[in-house]
Order: sequence, then structure tokens, then C-alpha cells
Amino acid sequence: MKKLILALLILNTFSAFAETVAEDEKTVGVFYFKPILGHVHQSPKELSSSLTTIQCGHPIKVIESSKVKVGEEWAYVQVADFKGFILKSFLAPARPECFQAKYPKFFDGLNLDLSELYYWGRLYDNYLQGQSKVQ
Amino acid sequence: MITIFKASLRFSSLALMVMMFTSQINAQDKKTKEEKELELVDFKQIKKVLQEDGLSQQAKSKARQVEAIKKEQAIIEKDRFLVPTEDEWWGIMSEYWLVKNAPTLAWDFEKPDYGLEDSFKAVLQNVGLFQKKFRILLLNTPALVRAAIPGPDGETIFLISVPFIRTLDLSKLEISLMMLEDYLKAEEGYFKKAVRPKGLDAYVGSNFYGKKLDLSPMSEALKNYDQFLLQKGFTFQQQFAVTKKMDSFLKSNIEWWNTYFRLLGKIDRLIKTNNQYKTYNQLYPSPEMQLKWLSPDDKVL
Repeated sequence: MKKLILALLILNTFSAFAETVAEDEKTVGVFYFKPILGHVHQSPKELSSSLTTIQCGHPIKVIESSKVKVGEEWAYVQVADFKGFILKSFLAPARPECFQAKYPKFFDGLNLDLSELYYWGRLYDNYLQGQSKVQ
Repeated sequence: MITIFKASLRFSSLALMVMMFTSQINAQDKKTKEEKELELVDFKQIKKVLQEDGLSQQAKSKARQVEAIKKEQAIIEKDRFLVPTEDEWWGIMSEYWLVKNAPTLAWDFEKPDYGLEDSFKAVLQNVGLFQKKFRILLLNTPALVRAAIPGPDGETIFLISVPFIRTLDLSKLEISLMMLEDYLKAEEGYFKKAVRPKGLDAYVGSNFYGKKLDLSPMSEALKNYDQFLLQKGFTFQQQFAVTKKMDSFLKSNIEWWNTYFRLLGKIDRLIKTNNQYKTYNQLYPSPEMQLKWLSPDDKVL
């Protein structure tokens, strides 16, 4: 009987915790992925592991949680069942003009395999980008 | 008895009449709604009324609208088979090559922060190259030391070997000046001219609707990229032209000119002593000559 009560107590604690987590999260808005391909990262670092690969134009729910702290450059996001991180510079408030939407059959025709899709996504995480100013 | 018989006869005839009437009603019920409507409406009679109401005209314009939508849909469907324009093609081609060669070029690695974005931006602005977008990809291999290839949206992708930077212990200004030299080569179009596949003019912007996508220009360009960046490289004439351009660009900033001159000296010494970079001279001929081209003419007194 004691064991049963203890188990119920533990279960209750966990369910209460789960509720706190869910309540704590707030949706900031839905944004769209800009580069041709990319990754939802496990941690807010360019080279952290990929949770899933996404394509240009993919809708991304940006969320906020007091339990997850991210730097200014990163957004905490939810894509399907995955919660991870994406660079803010890769997100657009409106659906962007994507290469694969403009040239869908050409892009399909490249027949990229899984590892190539993965690397194409990593490419944008590895680029250092800049622009010289207007005179 | 007769009275009973007469009564029953009257009843059966009445029942028969009721049955006939009911069956008639049932037969009418079996008709579809449309058939009933057709019976009710005599189109020939109302045709004139419809014409007067302009409904016939409306029907014609609706048909024209449907036809226009169908045509538009066909155009949209055909546009899905477009090959990118030339500018877009170069960007996608370079990234395709980088992706295909990812394991050998080893660009997916934890890299040091040299602050190259800001340093190169400052160099570009200082020599008067404004509003130039660029991407830098550091490579963890000595196999490809440096290059500038066309990127998406008219940008330039710079490839730089981190082992090369480390071996020479290059400063961010030295790396940026090296990138400026590569940028000038890209601007001259040497790379594009060398790797351009046959028939690209007809290929870019074409439509392959109803046909299979021809990937031969892509495969040819992949081979050409490899050949140019890893084996063939630039000619003496191209190197001379760019070195002279660097000379004129940097003359106004003597500190940078001296840094560039020292950088060429460093590279020259390295490639003469380190076997790992023996192909450098073949690809970028040659630091020794560049030093000569930059040196003031010997004056005989």
C-alpha cells in the first residue's frame, strides 16, 4: 500500500512538472526558413547536432520559455515534434522566395541523396557572411 | 346471392382503379429531379427570355474565363520545369560542388574566430569596393589553399585553408589581402571562363517540360571546378594583371602595400620548403614572380 501511495505521489509530481513546462512556453510567432536547406539544432551553436533537416519556406514556430536561455542571434523553435535552435538571420516573417519553389523540377532533378541534403543545410551554418557598406 | 356478387364486383373494380391510379403516381415518383425539371421547362420557349436577360452572354464569358484559367494553369505547370537563369545557376553550381566535395574539402568543422568578416569588409571599403556581399568558408585541409568562386545572388564565396593560415601564422589583414587578390581574379571572370561548360548559354533559362532534365552541364562543371581549383589554376598573364591591379589598389596605403609584399615573401618561402604546398606554384604562378613584378625597377647608376 505504501509503495502504491509513493508511486502515485511521484507520478503526480511529474505530471505537475510537465504542466509547468507546457504553461511556461509561449509562442512568439510563426516564421519561415530562408536558406535552401538547414537544420534545427540541438543547442544554440552552428555546429551542434541536427535534430531535423528543413527546407526553405518551412513554417517555424518560435517559442519562448523561462527555462531556455538563448543568445541574441538564436531563436528557440518548434518544428513538428522537435524543439531546438535556429539562427534568427535564417528566419523571415513572411514566406520567402525559395529556389526550390521557383525551380522545383530542376531542384528535384539534382537527385540529392540524404548526406548531400544534410551537407547543403550545414553549408549555411558554416558560412561567415558580410557586406561592404554603401559609400 | 346475386346482390352479394354485384357488390363484390363493384368493390374489385374500385380496388383495381385505385391500384392503377397508385401505380401511375409511383411511376411519376421514379423520375429524377432533373427529368421533372425538364418536363416543366421548355427551353425553346424560354430561350428568348434568357437572351433578353443576358444569361447566354454570361455563359459565354464564363466559358472564356475557364479557358483563360486553364491556359494560365498550363503556363504555371510549364514554368515548374525552368532551368535557373545564368546568375542563379552559378550560385547553385558552386554550392552543389561544395556539397559534393564536403568530405574532401572538410568545411564542416569547429573553426577559429579570426574576425575575417569585419577585416575583409574594411579592406573592401578602403579600396573603394562598396556594397559587395561575400561569404567565407574556412577549409580544414591543405589540399585547396584559396579560391573565390561565384556564389548565390551575385555574391562571392571565398575558400581559405585553415592549415595554410596556421602554417604561415597569417594575420587577419594578411588573409584579407589574400582574399582581395582572389576577389579581383573573380571580378575579371577568369574562373567562370575556365570552368564554363559547353552549351551553357542555351541551357540556362531553358525549359525542359516534357523532357528529362539534362544534367550534363552540371556534371561537366563539377569536373571543371575540380580541374581548375586543384590542378590547372591561373596563367602567368592572369597573375601578372591581378598583381599589378593589387599594386595600384594598395599604393595609397603604404602599410597595406608592405603587408601584401611581405605576405608574398612568406608564401614564396613556404612553397619552396614545404612539400604539402608544392602545387601552389602551379595554381597561382608564382609568388616569386609576383615579388619581382611588384619590386621597383633596378636603377643602374
